[in-house]
Amino acid sequence: MYGEEPISRERVVMGEPVRTGDVLFSLRDVSVDYATRAGAVKAVDRVSLDIRKGEILGLVGESGCGKSTLGKAMLRMIQPPGEITEGQMIFDGTDLMTLNSRRMRELRGARLGMVFQDPMTSLDPLQKIVDHLTETVMTHEPSTSEAAARDRAEQLVSRLGLREERIDDYPHQFSGGMRQRIMIALALALRADLVIADEPTTALDVIVEAQFLDLLRELRAEFDLTIVLITHNIGVVAEVADRVAVMYAGRMVEVAGVDGLFLDTKHPYGQGLLKAVPNIQLADAELYQMEGSPPNLLRPPPGCSFHPRCPSEMPICSSVEPSLRAVDQDHLAACWLYEDHPEKRVPVEVAHD
Amino acid sequence: MAVTEERQAPDAPDWHEELENVGLVRRIFQARRWYKADWWFVVISSVAVAGFFIVAIFPQWFAPHDPREEVGARVLAPGEAPAFEVFMVPAGSQVAGLADMATGERESFGVVVGEPTSDVARDEVERLNEEGLTGDERLRLGLERFDDLPEMLTALSAGELVAAGAASDQVDLVIDDFPEVEVVGSIAEGDEGAGQSFLLGTNQLGQDMLSRIIWGTRIAFLIGFASAVFAIVIGVPLGLLAGFAGGKLDRGMSIIMDSLYAFPGLILAIAIAAVLGPSVFNVIVAIAVLYIPTYFRIVRGQTLSAKEELYVEAARSLGAKSTVILRRYIFPNVIPSVAIIFSVNVADAILTGAGLSFLGIGLPPDTPDWGIDLARGQQSIQTAWWLVTFPGIAVMLVVLSFTMMGEGLVEIFNPKLRER
Repeated sequence: MYGEEPISRERVVMGEPVRTGDVLFSLRDVSVDYATRAGAVKAVDRVSLDIRKGEILGLVGESGCGKSTLGKAMLRMIQPPGEITEGQMIFDGTDLMTLNSRRMRELRGARLGMVFQDPMTSLDPLQKIVDHLTETVMTHEPSTSEAAARDRAEQLVSRLGLREERIDDYPHQFSGGMRQRIMIALALALRADLVIADEPTTALDVIVEAQFLDLLRELRAEFDLTIVLITHNIGVVAEVADRVAVMYAGRMVEVAGVDGLFLDTKHPYGQGLLKAVPNIQLADAELYQMEGSPPNLLRPPPGCSFHPRCPSEMPICSSVEPSLRAVDQDHLAACWLYEDHPEKRVPVEVAHD
Repeated sequence: MAVTEERQAPDAPDWHEELENVGLVRRIFQARRWYKADWWFVVISSVAVAGFFIVAIFPQWFAPHDPREEVGARVLAPGEAPAFEVFMVPAGSQVAGLADMATGERESFGVVVGEPTSDVARDEVERLNEEGLTGDERLRLGLERFDDLPEMLTALSAGELVAAGAASDQVDLVIDDFPEVEVVGSIAEGDEGAGQSFLLGTNQLGQDMLSRIIWGTRIAFLIGFASAVFAIVIGVPLGLLAGFAGGKLDRGMSIIMDSLYAFPGLILAIAIAAVLGPSVFNVIVAIAVLYIPTYFRIVRGQTLSAKEELYVEAARSLGAKSTVILRRYIFPNVIPSVAIIFSVNVADAILTGAGLSFLGIGLPPDTPDWGIDLARGQQSIQTAWWLVTFPGIAVMLVVLSFTMMGEGLVEIFNPKLRER
């Protein structure tokens, strides 16, 4: 579609060299396309990301930037018309893309778990909580007896702050926060290593949200859990995440430690995102608003997809795509501001069709 | 306004809460409280359906007669005692029966034209002659035909006839005007004693209508339930498969089902039943084919929406197999809508079954079936109203109570519908 693709492919540079032992899940150039009548929509476009063992990684971005799709892709749960078109997903030394669907299914729930946005609908209304839990346990460990599975379910549920006897209740008898805890319990039933939480607190009010985030932190320590927290709530990320990955229009634009990101944002999009957070201490200040709207992913703009909205746009931005590269200690950004390029100083005619 | 709203408010959460904690049986009994004035709707129709069920399963407990056997006079009105042919002579005559008329001569015997009297008399004469009950002589009757009964009785009073015969019920109406006529008994021996009446009358074959209707319940229920179950057994799995698998399989199956659906229902059933030949099973198959697309469509649609539910995705994220998802997550969520169509469907299938046999297709002709009775009764609808009325009422009652019970149960099972 636009000519510079090969260049950027070569230029993908992973940040500071991480010891492989530290990385639990590594995404390399993962793309997800949705086939529509108008053409392929690149919901996730050559995203690379390392998720380190034991961390809470916040994955942020505005609606439609591909963060949920990426979360689902990590479990290979993209349904047609969507498809993972390229890339590698290395989890604990194995490329998930090479596994057959049966092996993949065995990993889901057992080692990889997911918590969804809407707790009200993510449990089957016709099944008791205990059935959800025992089924998950027995799916992956068929030798477990029903009674043993029930025992485990009770322990888990009480660890998550619900009364044991309530596992015989139906989902509609629980509040949203309780249901979200049950979803966590499901993900933890087999001691998953990695839990992808897709906007788990969006449907919860702030008090329950705070409790839930506390719980996540506790569980991380207790179960040696790695959590990918997908959210559009910058506050939540600042609260719990160790590192933050920022997505824009299907691409990863900035990955940094939480301090690095909030104190020294590199990418103009990340800067805009932070400025757009309401601040109670600046009561008089007008809320910052980013110009423009996210691009149409059917026909993304050439070069950096953020350039039409970028306050620091340079000529090169509209022709050559920047690559994600280390710009600071433990800080990656995909922006020409921090990268040198022969064309950068020469105003170029935008040559695209 | 505000006052009434306040007054109603405390009631509302009450039954919601109760609903969560009571079982099905108590729900039905408590229906009274949520339904306010309408509760008897459900209760009565449920009781009626239960009653019909018992009748359908054990018709022999209720039917007084064999529905296929000729048990009495033909075309008797409900409660009517059958007429018999009486033997009349002029007052003072020595003749006391047909046997006394065997004198070697052709004796004149009066009958009214168009009445069955002459047949009865001829049969009796034949019997008397064969059995030798007329002494030395053979009995020979010279039939005198009259246009109406009074005319014949006048002739009999005047001594122009040796004897005459007519139906008892008609004679009773006019006999007082003819004091010179004496009724001495029945023409045929034993005829008088067989005068049983029937609650719902008899048909043209002398079969008891009540027994036929009672046995007809069994056929109606058999056809209704078996064809609905048949349609479910085939339609539901196909719908699940098509909805869950999607793609070309779905498209192909949908096209087949839609073309079945587009066909006029009764005509399709007629065609299938005609091809398969007359038997109860074939009628069931014909009607089932009619309803398979209904279940297919509903289940496919429900499956399509259920498989997009977050809990299905959540189950998948926990490593559940497709078969498990289909069986444990999608199927149970699809079943309620199947149950709803089922009750309406049974009623509809009963109607279609009656329609088929009304048209003379499908069931063997001697089957005690409402449709067959309706078709027969329709031929003599102007003279014998009861032949069509009672089978018609039976069909109507059964269909109505099924529909009412179905709708009532839907509301009890799914109180959310009431909030709309």
